[in-house]
Amino acid sequence: MKQQLEQIKTAALEAIASAQNSADCENVRVKYLGKKGELTAILKSMGGLSPEERPIMGQLVNTAKAEVDEALSAKVSQMQAAAEEAKLKEETIDITMPAKASKTGKLHPLNTVLNDMIDIFQSMGFDVVDGPEVETDHYNFECLNVPADHPARDMQDTFYLAENILLRTQTSAAQVRTMETRKPPIRVICPGRVFRADEVDATHSPVFHQIEGLVVDKGVTMCDLKGVLEQFAHEIYGPETKVKFRPSFFPFTEPSVEVDVSCSECGGKGCRVCKGAGWIEILGAGMVHPNVLRSCGIDPEEYSGFAFGIGLDRLTTTRYKISDIRLLFENDKRFLDQF
Amino acid sequence: MKISLKALKYYVDINVPVEELCDRMVMAGFEVESIEAEGENIKNVVAARIVKVEPHQDSDHLQICQMDIGKEELVQIVTGAQNIKEGDLVPAALDDSHLPNGMHIKAGKLRGVPSNGMLCSGEELCLTEADYEGASVHGILILRDEWAPGTDMREVLGLDDYIIDFKITANRPDCNCFMGVAKEASVVLGSAYHPPVPTYTTVGEDIKDYVSVEVQNYDLCPRYVGRVVKNLRIKPSPVWMQKALIASGMRPINNIVDITNFVMLETGQPMHAFNYNDLADKKIIVRNAAEGESITTLDGKEYNLTTDMLVIADGEKPSCLAGIMGGKESEIEDDTKDLFLECAKFRRDSVRKTGRALGIRTESSGRFEKGVDIINVGFAMDRALQLINDLDAGDIIEGALDCNQGLPEDKILNVTSKSIVDLLGVEIPEEKMVEILNSLCLPTTAKDGVLTVSVPSIRDDIEGRADLAEEVMRIYGYDHIVGTPMRGNVMRGKKLPARVKSDKMKSLLCGMGCYEIATYSFIASGALDTLNLTDDDARRNAVKLINPLGDEYSTMRTQLVTSMLTVMATNINRKIEAGRFFEESKRFIPKSLPVTEQPDELPTLCIGLYGKDEDFFTLKGIVEEIMSLFGAHTQYKRSSETYLHPGRQAEVLANNVSAAVIGEVHPAVAKNYDIDTKVYIAEIKLDVLYAINKRKTTYKPLPKYPAVERDFAMLVDADIPVGELEKAIQSGGGRLLEKIELFDVYQGAQIPAGKKSVAYSVWLRSAEGTLTDAQIEDTSAKIIAKLEKLGAELRK
Repeated sequence: MKQQLEQIKTAALEAIASAQNSADCENVRVKYLGKKGELTAILKSMGGLSPEERPIMGQLVNTAKAEVDEALSAKVSQMQAAAEEAKLKEETIDITMPAKASKTGKLHPLNTVLNDMIDIFQSMGFDVVDGPEVETDHYNFECLNVPADHPARDMQDTFYLAENILLRTQTSAAQVRTMETRKPPIRVICPGRVFRADEVDATHSPVFHQIEGLVVDKGVTMCDLKGVLEQFAHEIYGPETKVKFRPSFFPFTEPSVEVDVSCSECGGKGCRVCKGAGWIEILGAGMVHPNVLRSCGIDPEEYSGFAFGIGLDRLTTTRYKISDIRLLFENDKRFLDQF
Repeated sequence: MKISLKALKYYVDINVPVEELCDRMVMAGFEVESIEAEGENIKNVVAARIVKVEPHQDSDHLQICQMDIGKEELVQIVTGAQNIKEGDLVPAALDDSHLPNGMHIKAGKLRGVPSNGMLCSGEELCLTEADYEGASVHGILILRDEWAPGTDMREVLGLDDYIIDFKITANRPDCNCFMGVAKEASVVLGSAYHPPVPTYTTVGEDIKDYVSVEVQNYDLCPRYVGRVVKNLRIKPSPVWMQKALIASGMRPINNIVDITNFVMLETGQPMHAFNYNDLADKKIIVRNAAEGESITTLDGKEYNLTTDMLVIADGEKPSCLAGIMGGKESEIEDDTKDLFLECAKFRRDSVRKTGRALGIRTESSGRFEKGVDIINVGFAMDRALQLINDLDAGDIIEGALDCNQGLPEDKILNVTSKSIVDLLGVEIPEEKMVEILNSLCLPTTAKDGVLTVSVPSIRDDIEGRADLAEEVMRIYGYDHIVGTPMRGNVMRGKKLPARVKSDKMKSLLCGMGCYEIATYSFIASGALDTLNLTDDDARRNAVKLINPLGDEYSTMRTQLVTSMLTVMATNINRKIEAGRFFEESKRFIPKSLPVTEQPDELPTLCIGLYGKDEDFFTLKGIVEEIMSLFGAHTQYKRSSETYLHPGRQAEVLANNVSAAVIGEVHPAVAKNYDIDTKVYIAEIKLDVLYAINKRKTTYKPLPKYPAVERDFAMLVDADIPVGELEKAIQSGGGRLLEKIELFDVYQGAQIPAGKKSVAYSVWLRSAEGTLTDAQIEDTSAKIIAKLEKLGAELRK
């Protein structure tokens, strides 16, 4: 009987080892472990043994049963794992296939650049304010030290809506409104749309955008102006960028300067981008003219300030190397999608 | 202001290369627009001697010349000119040479004979008689025999000058002339400045016996100086003067006219020469034009004058438009015998207004508009007389008629040196300030920290400490300004609430696949017609520009739809198959027309969609997201915009206020834009949305008990909007209603005509406990009852 048990076990283990699929495994289980299985039959046939032999034999049969059962389970899980693996392998995809578009839109490049600028100036404590696009002669010129017969009026060809109502030629108009409503210390930028009677071509547009900056406080100096513009230039063009002041003239600032930055393309050696100069003109600035402070009810003996005006369109076209400003207003989706 | 370097050197010592001069002038506030080297367009042209001339065998006019160009071998050049002979020295353009007229000369063959260049005429070298004697002769230019063969023609012609174009800022009209620039250059270079010192002799007599001058309007003409010169000897002006005029862009005419123009370029003060013999009654009257008067100007055009225009009249009629242009009648001609010379200051806005009104702008009027100095008027007159004297152009009568109401004294400014340092942030020593200001012809002394500066009228741009700070700084050098970091409280700046809201809205729109666009704020006057608006539509009350660049940009927009349609048309036309766009900009709504005050500028959002996946409801979905962002309770009403499809448009109410119109664009309107596909547009009033006070969000507990889903399918009249059914379900469902979802709308086969089948899923839930069957049945019954009131026939 012992021998018979040994034979059955060996046969069962061989059958398990050679099983090819889950059906084979099930057959093995039924054949050996099932209710009518061979190992079960041996247990049943133990009635003919002596009471002393019965427990010994019983234990042997149970051990054999356990051994077969374990081998079978191992085989089954091994086969399941293989099947799982095969399935995953089958599901392999070509990861170089094109992405399914997520279909988000984009901000207009002018506003992408504007938002960067707002971040920079906000972090320096500048509030962001707005002003009307249709201005009065009073705010656009008179308060900015450009009286009626002043030649500076010719610097900017103005669109008029009525005798004293015009499309603002500069965001500086918002300077005055700010100074009228806020008391020093003042630290604001005013981004906005401005208008000048320039015929449309690759570098001119009758509609363009500026960011006006204004600081008024006690003891503000021209060195402070340079400090702010240096920080701005470092953020926009990189930490190595140098800033240069060149004397110039604007009616609403005195002294007035044009501000150049070292060309970020060539680092100042001279290249095509900077037309060999090594410098690129980026904005106009200066100390707020005493007449302007006075016209806003601020005493120029007590307070001083500086102002600057940055051309957003120019900044945008240079940042993205856009060759023609008209592209900004044409709004071709393939253009808008690039920024 | 274009100035030749040679002309400049007459007034100031310049011992640095032209590039350095320009760099230093730029850093003192005089931007250089261009530096043009004279003769830079003449290349590889040399003086050459004709060694031998032979006739060409196959031509009756060509000649073959053997040329000595200073090298061992002679060069053969064929020419068609007849005015040459052996031994002549002539300009020869060699192989691969460039001429100023743009010609590029290469070696070739003329009727079979090799020719290695071209002999040049004066005209081909763009020379006039003033540049080189004989230049105007027809034929080859014969050179004076003073150069070795092979000498570069630029050297022969003395073309070693530079023409510098300075950009003079509007605050420095005094630098719009040779002397002004020279004075600045002398300060910048630290070298000597030598202005001319006018002297001349008269032939005696008394000007009062010749002419009288009366200024009737000193307000518009604060100073008028007149002189008389008789026995004019009119001839061409000397070469140096002609060259200076040409370099600055003026055309030489004759000695008298050239002197007035030269003095204008030199001193910045325009002058005018009248033919004395043509002056009626021998009177000069500076007055406003009388009603109905007219004048024919030097260029032969006739202008009708108005009474606000200042003229220089003789005893009968206007003879000159003050400061702008002279009259034809009193023009200086070759046979003019006697001269009345004018030098005056006219008020700049008067000259500007008259020039604008008549559409005339001259070198002279430009200068008056920028402003001339009242003191300089006298100097310029003396300088002109000096040149008349030196060039022997006529006999000067004794006496000047100088009409003015008193000349200004220098303005005295007292400014502490500390206040200048405080403004600049740079410690400039007081002695340095005094030195700089004195060098700029602003006599300055310092005592107890106070600078006393005497400002002459020619520098009336200087009003106080800020101006003096600039004068000091631009000469001291802006590189002394060292940036200091921002001082004061460290804080982050704030945005206005509207900008914060707009930023969020734009992020949301981008997230929904919309691209932001930017378009002009003005549109064509007829643009509104493309929307088929009715004649009395309020949007037609738009503000017009008085001086637009053209009709295309003439009208401030009262809506954003036309611009959006244009952008979509551009994209559709370029075969871009789908697009979602938005623009946030302003509508300009006048308070009254014609405008007397600023119009309202209303923030507005326009959304445009097209493409195969778009329809009214995708647009509605986007609009609902925006409404929800602003916390608006949204309702839809049928609307009647002419530019939208009559059955596919809606007015959107936000908290019961009209906030938007959305819909499919009317095919007829789309056609106006050559759009042949369906496009959808929403225009949203952001002022309405920005004004909504969004309720604070508070947390609602998550549901603890399960929801029950019930479906309701029904037949209703086809014209009942599903929105009505939803309202019925909502009111029937009451507190237990959690969510409604429309899952089917069907009309057609198996549905009776005039009816539609509508099906909803409805979720009920209670926060207090699991719903009992009784509760569910009760609520369902209420919902059904409400639906049946609308005539719905529930399908079981």
